Amino acid sequence: MKPAPFGYERPRDLQAALAVLNQVSDSAKIIAGGQSLGPMLNLRLVEPQLIVDITGLAELKQAERRGDELVLGACVTHADIEDGRTADVTRGAMQRVAANIAYRAVRNRGTVGGSLSHADPAADWVSALAALGAKLTLRSSAGARAVAMEDFVVGALECALRAGEIIETVHVPARPASAHWGYAKSCRKTGEFAHAIGAVLIDPSARTARIVIGAIDAAPIVITDAMELFGGRIGGDYKDRFDTRVADAILAKAGVSNAAQRHIHASVLKRAVCEAAA
Amino acid sequence: MSMIELSVNQRAVRISAEPRTNLADFIRDKLDLTGTHLGCEHGVCGACTVLLDGVPARSCITYAVACEGAEVTTIEGLDEDSVTAELRAAFTREHALQCGYCTPGMLVSARDLVLRLPQADERLIRVGLSGNLCRCTGYVGIVRAVQSVIEARRARDIAPMPDGGRKILGPVGSGRSVHRGADRVEQARGQSAPEAAGSVGSIPDFIPATVLTQHFTVAHPPEQVFAMFGDIAAVAACLPGASLTAPLRPERVEGAIRVKIGPIAATFLGAARVERNPADMSGRIVGIGNDRRSRSSTQGEIRYRLVQVGQGTRVDLSIGYTLTGMLAQVGRAGLVRDLAARLIAEFAGNLDRRLSGTSDAGATAAELNGLALVFGSLRAQVARWLGRFSSRQDGAP
Repeated sequence: MKPAPFGYERPRDLQAALAVLNQVSDSAKIIAGGQSLGPMLNLRLVEPQLIVDITGLAELKQAERRGDELVLGACVTHADIEDGRTADVTRGAMQRVAANIAYRAVRNRGTVGGSLSHADPAADWVSALAALGAKLTLRSSAGARAVAMEDFVVGALECALRAGEIIETVHVPARPASAHWGYAKSCRKTGEFAHAIGAVLIDPSARTARIVIGAIDAAPIVITDAMELFGGRIGGDYKDRFDTRVADAILAKAGVSNAAQRHIHASVLKRAVCEAAA
Repeated sequence: MSMIELSVNQRAVRISAEPRTNLADFIRDKLDLTGTHLGCEHGVCGACTVLLDGVPARSCITYAVACEGAEVTTIEGLDEDSVTAELRAAFTREHALQCGYCTPGMLVSARDLVLRLPQADERLIRVGLSGNLCRCTGYVGIVRAVQSVIEARRARDIAPMPDGGRKILGPVGSGRSVHRGADRVEQARGQSAPEAAGSVGSIPDFIPATVLTQHFTVAHPPEQVFAMFGDIAAVAACLPGASLTAPLRPERVEGAIRVKIGPIAATFLGAARVERNPADMSGRIVGIGNDRRSRSSTQGEIRYRLVQVGQGTRVDLSIGYTLTGMLAQVGRAGLVRDLAARLIAEFAGNLDRRLSGTSDAGATAAELNGLALVFGSLRAQVARWLGRFSSRQDGAP
């Protein structure tokens, strides 16, 4: 229950951090709030030779609205979003997601970038930000690249980050005034990792719907054009048109073989749809 | 060791500690402030909750070295705090503790709720305390105590403070290093040499705790696939992360498989027994392996059957495994299934390429290794599977 010995480095700026990662990326692990990595270190599931602490980097602890999007530095915490210390472009959607992540003591240190990099399929931002259509800027000493959230998580605890690369910023598009948002999750105990997550962004006037089925022990299912779940048409009556059988079929196709599990996921997704319509 | 400067209960402290020392051990062992309790040591039970820059944080999963320049307040530092004083009286009145182990962390979290919650809503209090486990009281007294303090304060027109007083962005406790610069502690660690798999004696039959079924198809006839499955070295070369560690014997294979799921990496060394039945083109591999670093062990079994489909072959797999030790704690079966699916897809692709003679399998395996796909249980399973097909061990930690 005590970590194996590790070296520690706190670079002074992003460039220095990237330089360190470039040198030693094989044996180094980045730490931000440490709320996922800390337990793994303590359990000795992870034994890096060097820990690179990026929480001192002022560049990553910024948030600003740029035009139609919110740009969050990777080290912005869940509590920062919950408390409204960051601008809100989602009309409260992100604030409600943040407020229900783990526990307050965890939210005070846990960061958005850390949660996404860790890529636990059951983590909230992995699903919520995919539904909101967020994009990430990944940076290495070679430069920056943009990746859409739906392409970022590739499997359980596996994401698109390459060696020596870190998440720099999260770009969240403004939620249109006509877009409805619903987010539901199932946890057996408040604050624990979810067993099922449903996230929906539906715009009946634009006839569009983004749907995410998360916490399936693999990368979340992201459906950017979710008409099929609503009988082929998105309208004001989408709540009544939501077809649980289609959700079940999608889950089966994604490899969720247990019927009870599929039922839970489909029910949680339905709750999210109902919340959006409420 | 690293020199750490921070403030604890408004006293400046300058003490050296290893980077791996968590904040709780730092304040307990170095400062003798033993009011902060350690329960689970992985962020679940809440006993170690302290105030970091004025708001609650888990001191068991926060390393002291990361708190350079921070202000830490432990339960001892709340003796004169007016909110905590009210809470102590309420806890006494409502019998909100029995053994007292959770109480320091409970009071720190309760104080935060008293400051932040707009009203004494029972549901919000219960949700707010869900990260602090109490095994004595059943929480009823604790919830009543917190409710009564919130009610009393709101009745005295003390307004709630929804942000708990926090005004800046980023993890609490971070970014106030007085050094204002790079702070590097080098820690050279010897690479542990892989253990010999030869220590594994007999390979017993067992009943797997988890069984997964998978299948894949390759565009080659069953006879060809079956023949290749008999060539252990060739199969190992197709398996990402696998390597053989001993000369081949007809019925026993010794080797290693390196599996990686996210930041978790393990190398299972072991041995496997191989059985083949040409009559129905099926086979079975039973293996046993250990990962020394995580002190985890696995037993695994892979059964396969080849079925002709058109001009190709469908390979039906049944993979059973039992994982014990540290890795078993994170071995969520679903994650393993995801890993297995990805691993098997890679394996099938390599197999196909090798059967077609279109690629150098060695190079392919190295590339796959870089993908770092595997997970603990999966790994166990893989270990078995690799144990049988065992492979190389490049980049093993």
